[in-house]
Amino acid sequence: MLDIKNLSVSFDTRMGRLTVLEDFTLKVNPGEKLGIIGESGSGKTTLALSMMGLVSGQVQGSIKYKGEELLEKSEEEWENIRSTRIAMVFQNTGDMLNPVYTLIDQVMEPFLKVNPGKKKEAFSRASYLLQEVGLTEDHFYAYPFSLSGGEVQRALIAMAVINDPEVLILDEPTSALDALTKAELINLLDEIVKDKTVIVVSHDLSTVMKLTRRTAVLYAGKIMEASSTQALLREPRHPYTRALVRAYPTRTTIKDLQGIRGEFPSLVEPPSGCRFHLRCTQSLETCSLVPPPLVEEGDSFLSCHRGGVITLLQGENITRSFPRRQKGLEETYFNAVDDIDIILKEGEILSLVGESGSGKTTLAHILAGISPPTRGKVFFQEKELYSLPKKESKKQRRYLQILFQNPQEAVSHRMMVHDLVEEPLEVQGIGDKQSRAESVKEALELVGLPADSFFLHKYPHELSGGELQRVTIARSLIMKPKVLIADEPSASLDASVQAKILKLLMHLQNQQGFALVLITHDLALAGKVGDRVAVMFSGKIVEEGPTSEIFRFPAHPYTKLLLEMAPSLETEVPSIKRVVKVKYDGEKGCPYHVYCQHPLDICYEKEPELKKVNFQKVACHKAPEGKKNNKLNLVENRVSTEISGIKGEVL
Amino acid sequence: MHINYWTELKRSKFGRTGLAMISILVFLALAAPLIAPYDPWAYVGTPLAPPSGEHLLGLNDIGQDIFSELLYGSRTTLMISSGVAIFSTLISLAFGLAAALWGGLVERVILRLIDIMLIIPVFLIAILVASFFQPGVTTLIILLTCLFWPPGARIIRAQALSIKQKQHLTAASSFGAGKGYLVYRHLLPDLYPIVTVNFIQVIRRAVFMEAGLAFLGVFDPVQKSWGLMLHYASEFIFTGAWKWWLVPTGFMISYTIIAFVLIGYALESALDPRLRRQVYVGH
Repeated sequence: MLDIKNLSVSFDTRMGRLTVLEDFTLKVNPGEKLGIIGESGSGKTTLALSMMGLVSGQVQGSIKYKGEELLEKSEEEWENIRSTRIAMVFQNTGDMLNPVYTLIDQVMEPFLKVNPGKKKEAFSRASYLLQEVGLTEDHFYAYPFSLSGGEVQRALIAMAVINDPEVLILDEPTSALDALTKAELINLLDEIVKDKTVIVVSHDLSTVMKLTRRTAVLYAGKIMEASSTQALLREPRHPYTRALVRAYPTRTTIKDLQGIRGEFPSLVEPPSGCRFHLRCTQSLETCSLVPPPLVEEGDSFLSCHRGGVITLLQGENITRSFPRRQKGLEETYFNAVDDIDIILKEGEILSLVGESGSGKTTLAHILAGISPPTRGKVFFQEKELYSLPKKESKKQRRYLQILFQNPQEAVSHRMMVHDLVEEPLEVQGIGDKQSRAESVKEALELVGLPADSFFLHKYPHELSGGELQRVTIARSLIMKPKVLIADEPSASLDASVQAKILKLLMHLQNQQGFALVLITHDLALAGKVGDRVAVMFSGKIVEEGPTSEIFRFPAHPYTKLLLEMAPSLETEVPSIKRVVKVKYDGEKGCPYHVYCQHPLDICYEKEPELKKVNFQKVACHKAPEGKKNNKLNLVENRVSTEISGIKGEVL
Repeated sequence: MHINYWTELKRSKFGRTGLAMISILVFLALAAPLIAPYDPWAYVGTPLAPPSGEHLLGLNDIGQDIFSELLYGSRTTLMISSGVAIFSTLISLAFGLAAALWGGLVERVILRLIDIMLIIPVFLIAILVASFFQPGVTTLIILLTCLFWPPGARIIRAQALSIKQKQHLTAASSFGAGKGYLVYRHLLPDLYPIVTVNFIQVIRRAVFMEAGLAFLGVFDPVQKSWGLMLHYASEFIFTGAWKWWLVPTGFMISYTIIAFVLIGYALESALDPRLRRQVYVGH
């Protein structure tokens, strides 16, 4: 239908030449519903306008509509195309309608332009469409200033489809509308555009999710990623897409919102290489030099040198056994960590939750490279941690840091703040004395501590728990790690200091762009911080998935229990009595069956494997296979494809 | 807990007294050539002459000035005791740390060696060996060092094992620190108190041992030593000379040992929270 090739649009401003779109290539098939998302300034609207021939800057490349080159059309031909074939619903900014004409006159106008003199037909079509979009006859003769924003937007939709165009471009159709009106409009649009080719330009992810099947992500005039909308928003591959999704609040967002670090680049002097590399957390040197090509993979496109968000830390079949001798018997082993597979993606926060004794800390130490696992492998940046030669291993340590639960324990009380923070650099032999002192100051300022000489010469016992934990955070961050493993960093602190420390960690994670593993026994906290949550029980990961999924559809009984036990300000105390059972080597059955409310027979015989259920993974025999069987679930999905709008008219 | 030993020592009454006593002794020993009125090896008057204006504590059986002898004797005592303390502490540290850090076979061998050394009656062996060698200062230092290191090594190993479990060591090794760095930057500073106490204990024992061995006559007779002085004085117990020969010497030995005991006591109470009256805050 539409075939856009190497489209570049630039404007001459007094600041210099502004390249808003560069080398944009996209194919739109007939009947396709395509979404274009991106931050403001990313070139979305310019793209829409250039498809309408309304762009005022220099346009290069080609836009082919059913084989016809649109960019060579004259203004007259354009007018014809605009009124009959490609229509656009503009964003209602308040000045889209002429204030001196009544509403129905304006809606009729495009029809009359194509069919001059057919006033009756125009009226009947316009009134039909206006009723279709939910307006009543009362509105027909109203002047625009007496209409609400939602009503004007409806009228604009009616106006756009009056000539039954083949392609409909929706530019921010729902931004600036309240949630109810938005839901209604989306419903309506979904209905109206059924047989049309639609391009939705929006920064509103939920609108795009509901109206489109395929989405392209635009950043600074370039396509970063294009794929099916579902896959794109659920499992974003490009770091920019992920950051966009992370910044978008939905009803089920549990994690605190995080913006995208850095500022949107200037388009006069766009960043060299990959446009996103300055804000990307995984950029390499090539990213700043060579623009990444748009690679096609099936029906999805990706423009990233690193092939999307990479896996930083990966544990494979990690097992850690401790000997536990029994009287009169042979030596037995129990597995503190039992055959765990774990993946940490670049720049994400993974919360590891479980009760004490579930093996969280042991796993943390194994992942941090401090204590080797009995079996299994740990890959950090695709290198096996425990089989590296000594020198290499020391170098890798720079990028893999661990934060301990109790800051008092984790520092030597014979060292002053300066020495403490400097220690990693000293061990690694980085820089000379002066540059190290600079780094120490920077690190302390990063965590919000003073860097004056008075503070630098304090001893740990002269600091409060919160201050000391900040010092240890500064110490962990001084080498700019790629992964930070925080083992209950706030467990020994009170709620207010805990909040500060966690906010700080999240802020630093976003700003510095490291990946964070947060280990905690508090599921409420884990949800607030983590992109993903992994629940551990008896040395196993029993459930793992995106935070919002885990919180809304906990599939494992243990997760449900943890959710129930999560801190709340209710007066009732849930009663719970049980014993922690350790699992011995060679024992069969689900480790949880002893506490499980409704175990099946198979639970005593076979250990459940971690299997994929929708967006999460669960190790439970009772977990449903594949799709959720609950209708409610579908409606409640995070960025749901179903619309739960309110039927009826707005008076 | 962070403890400043020096402050702790100065805080304690016993510590202050002990420090003052030691300082006096050290001053006397260092300044002996200046203070001593006579060469302690020279024949300066009638043997066994009683105290007089010229000879403060009289003369011994071969006409040497006893006061000068006492001053020079303090040098020998301090030299031997500090020498023994330094070397045996170093050996204790080496063995203790090796056992704690490497573990396994190394640890077992060292521990068994310590066990064997501990059941040997130190004094008896010292007498036997010393009487065979008729040792001078160096030999005695070596001998006592060999006998005194095991208890220290055991304590240091135990302490090092517990420090090794501390998280700040784990943290340091997570930065990539090697064994050497850990020992130098983390273990030694934390071992410092226990090492200091051990050091003082060894000094005390060495003073006593040196005096005892010399008293029994197993020491180079040419050296000026309090023990030797006791040895010779005891032969003239029937004359009145013991009053200014035996008593002052005995007093000096007791004085030295008491001084070290006081310091040791003050340090130990500073280290053991149960013995400390108030928690030390600030510095």
